[in-house]
Amino acid sequence: MLREPSIPSMIKLSMSSSTNLTPLSEAKAGSVLSVVRLDGNEQVCRRLREVGFCEKAEIRLLSRGGQMICHVCGTRLALSRKLAQKIWVQPFSLSLSTSSKK
Amino acid sequence: MHPEKDVKCYAVVGNPNCGKTTLFNALTGLRQKVGNYPGVTVEKKSGQFIGQHGEKIELLDLPGSYSLNSHAPDECVTRDVLLGLRSDTPRPDRILCVIDASHLERNLYFITQVLELGLPTIIALNMIDLAKAQGIAIDVLKLSEELDVPVIACQANHRETLLSLKLALSRAEITRSSWAQKLPSPWMRAIDGVSAIWAHAGEKTSQRDPLVRMKSLLLLASPDAEIESLSKEMKAGSALGIALAQRSMLDRELPLWREALVSARYDRITELCQAAQGKSSIAGDAMTHHLDEILTHPFWGWFGFLGIMGLMFISIFVVAAYPMSWIETTFGFLGNCVREIMPQGDLRDLISDGIIAGIGGVVTFLPQILVLFFFIGLLEDTGYMARAAFLMDRVMSKVGLHGKSFIPLLSSYACAIPGIMATRTIENAKDRLVTILVAPLMSCSARLPVYALMIAALFPKGTVSIWIQGAIMMGLYLFGTVTALGFAWLFKKTILHGETPVFLMELPPYRIPALKHVLLQMIQRARIFLKRAGTVILGISVILWFLVSFPKNPSSHVRNSNTSPQVAITSVKSDKATQLEYSYAGHFGHWIEPVIAPLGFDWKIGIGLVAAQAAREVFISTLAIIYHVESDEENPSSLSTTLIHETHPDGTLVYTPLTCLSILVFFVLSMQCISTLAVVRRETNSLRWPLFQFFYMTGAAYLASLLVYQGGKLFGLM
Repeated sequence: MLREPSIPSMIKLSMSSSTNLTPLSEAKAGSVLSVVRLDGNEQVCRRLREVGFCEKAEIRLLSRGGQMICHVCGTRLALSRKLAQKIWVQPFSLSLSTSSKK
Repeated sequence: MHPEKDVKCYAVVGNPNCGKTTLFNALTGLRQKVGNYPGVTVEKKSGQFIGQHGEKIELLDLPGSYSLNSHAPDECVTRDVLLGLRSDTPRPDRILCVIDASHLERNLYFITQVLELGLPTIIALNMIDLAKAQGIAIDVLKLSEELDVPVIACQANHRETLLSLKLALSRAEITRSSWAQKLPSPWMRAIDGVSAIWAHAGEKTSQRDPLVRMKSLLLLASPDAEIESLSKEMKAGSALGIALAQRSMLDRELPLWREALVSARYDRITELCQAAQGKSSIAGDAMTHHLDEILTHPFWGWFGFLGIMGLMFISIFVVAAYPMSWIETTFGFLGNCVREIMPQGDLRDLISDGIIAGIGGVVTFLPQILVLFFFIGLLEDTGYMARAAFLMDRVMSKVGLHGKSFIPLLSSYACAIPGIMATRTIENAKDRLVTILVAPLMSCSARLPVYALMIAALFPKGTVSIWIQGAIMMGLYLFGTVTALGFAWLFKKTILHGETPVFLMELPPYRIPALKHVLLQMIQRARIFLKRAGTVILGISVILWFLVSFPKNPSSHVRNSNTSPQVAITSVKSDKATQLEYSYAGHFGHWIEPVIAPLGFDWKIGIGLVAAQAAREVFISTLAIIYHVESDEENPSSLSTTLIHETHPDGTLVYTPLTCLSILVFFVLSMQCISTLAVVRRETNSLRWPLFQFFYMTGAAYLASLLVYQGGKLFGLM
C-alpha cells in the first residue's frame, strides 16, 4: 500500500513492532495508525475492510469516548468501542518498514 | 432507427451522501428529498430530461451504496438493479457514477466495482467547489485516463458544469471502461471456474462477460451465511456448487483470500489517488473537526442535543402563535359569513358546523407543524442527524439496537411513514423490524395539534409562560421516545432476540443548510397536510356532522326569532345538547362510554377517539364539530376555550387537568394511523406485524391512561 522506501532507522524500530500492537479502542486520540489485523466474524470484517479499515490502511484516531471517530480514506467514520476492540493497530511509522518487505 | 430505442437510461449510483439525489433533482427538475446524511434515498426513483439533441434521457436514482457486496436492504436495491436481478426494473444500459470530489478515495472503492460491470459509464465528479475550498485539486484528465471513462467535474448548483454533464450524457456512444481489478492468481482461477459454469448454463453469455464475472466474484466473496440466498437470487443454479468448491480451493492456496480481495482494490485506489490528486491531507475539514469536538463530546454533545430540541419546542409555541390566531379568526369569520348569507337549514349547518368548524380546527395547527418541519429540515441539511445518531448510540446499544436506528426514529418525529422507510438502511432484519415496530411511538406531527390543544386546555391563556408549555411539549416527545426505547428493549429481549449490532457510520461534513431545501420540504409537508385536511378530514367531518345531526330529535322545535334573545339562547343550547345525545354518534358514544370512563373520558371524547383511529388530527375536527353543533352559534369561541368551560351534567368540569393528562398519554402511545399500518404491512410483507403493532400500542395506551387517571384520583388529583 505504501510506496515510500523505508528509512533504515525505521527498520530498527520495527523489531519491537509486535509489542506495539493494540486494539484501536486503546489507541491514543490524535495518533496516526495502521491496521494490522481484524478479529470478529466474516460479515463484520468485510464491512470494516470495505469502509477502509483494511489491513495496512493508514487511519487516524480523532476522538475517543463511548464511541470513536476515525479519519479513514478521507472521511470521518464513527464506530462503537466494541467494534474498535476488533481492530488491531500499530503506530503508522512502524508499518512503513513491515510493508516494504512485500 | 426506432425512436423508442433512442431513450438512454442511466442508473445514478455512488456512495451514500455523495449528492446523487441533488444532482438528479438538478438534471430532471424533480424535487426528491435530499439531506446531508447517508441514507436519505432508500428507493429507486426515476426522472427524465431532454438531452442536447432533443432526445429523452431517463435517469434512475438509486440508493447510495459502499459496495456491491450489499449489507442493507437499500444497498440490495442498487446491486439488484445493476446486476439485472429485479423483475420490475430492466437492467439500465448506461451508468452515471457520482463521486464526492472531496472524498475521492472512499468513493472509488464502489465506483471501480461498478466500472467492472462493463457498462458504458460516465463519472460526475460532484461537489467540486467544496473540494477546491478544502484545498483538494483533482487532475480530472488524469482520473479520466486512469479509469478509462469520461469524468465531468460538476456541482449541482452551477449551471455551466451541469451543461457539460448534460452534454456528456447525451453522447450517442460511450465506451465501456477497460478497468479490471488485478487479483492474486488463485482468485482469478476461482472466478474463471465459476464463470465457466455460469456461461454454460446461460446460452448467450460468454465466460468473459463482465456481468458473469462480477456475479461470480460476488458469489465467491459473500459470507458463508449468505451465499445460498445470494445464489438463489442470482439464479446461479449449478454455479453454487462450483463456487463452494472454489472457496475451499482458495482457503488452501490463499488463506487470506477475503482480505486480499479488498486490499488489492484499495492498493490500486491509493495509487490512482496519488496520480490524480497527490497526497490528500489527512486533517479533513477544519470546521467539521471543531464542531464535532463539541457536538460529539460525551458531555457537551448532550447539552447541545437537548438545547436544539428545547429550542425547537419553544419555537413551536412562540413563532406559531400569531399565524395560528390569524387562521383561527379567518375560519371564525368564514363561519359567520356562511351563517349570515345562507338561509337557515341543514345545508347551512353542514357547511358552518361540519366543514368549516372541522377543517378549521385542524388547519389552525399548520403553523406549528411548519415550525417543526423547519427544524427537522435544518437538522437534516446541516449534517447533525448523523451526530444525533452518534450520541444516541450509547443509549441505543443498551436497548440492543445501534445508533443508526435512531435516524429513522428521529425522522418519525415528522411522520412515521418516512421513518419506517428509512429503516431500510439497517442491515440486520430483526433490528430493522424492531425499529419499525417502535417508530410510531415517536410523536409525529399529526399528534402535535392534539398536544397543543390539550396543553391549551390544561393552561388557559396567560396562566403559564410559554416556557412551561414548551417544556410540557418536550416532555411528551421525551415520554414517547423513552417508551419507544423501552419497547425496543423488550422486543429485543423476547420475540426478536439477537445480539447488539455493531455501530459503524460515516459522519458527513457539516454544511451551511440550504434554505431552499428546508423551505421546499416545508412547502411539501404543508401541501400534504392541507391535502389531508381537504380529503380525509373533510370526508370524516361531513360524515360526522351527519352522525351528530341525525336522526333529528323529534321534541326539538323550530327556533322562534321573536322570543327575547336571552330565552332563545338558553332554549337553543339545551335543544342542541339533547340533539347530540339523540344522534347516532351520541348513541355510539354512550355505548362505548363504560370502556373509556375508567380513563376519565366522557362519551363525547369517546366519539373523538374512535374517529381519530383513521388519523390523529381527526380528534380535533371531531371535537370541533361536536362542540360547535352543541354550542351557542352566535358567539363562536375558540375550541380550547370551549373545552375549558365544558361541564358534565352534574356541573363538574369535563376537561380537568387529570383528564387532559390522560388524553395526552393516550395519544402519545396509541396507534391511530391507517397509513402507517399500511406501510408497515408493505415493508414487513406480512399482516401479522401491523396487527401486532396496532394491538400492543393501543393496549399500552389504554393501560397507561388507566394508570394515570386512577392513580391520579387515588392521590386526590382532579
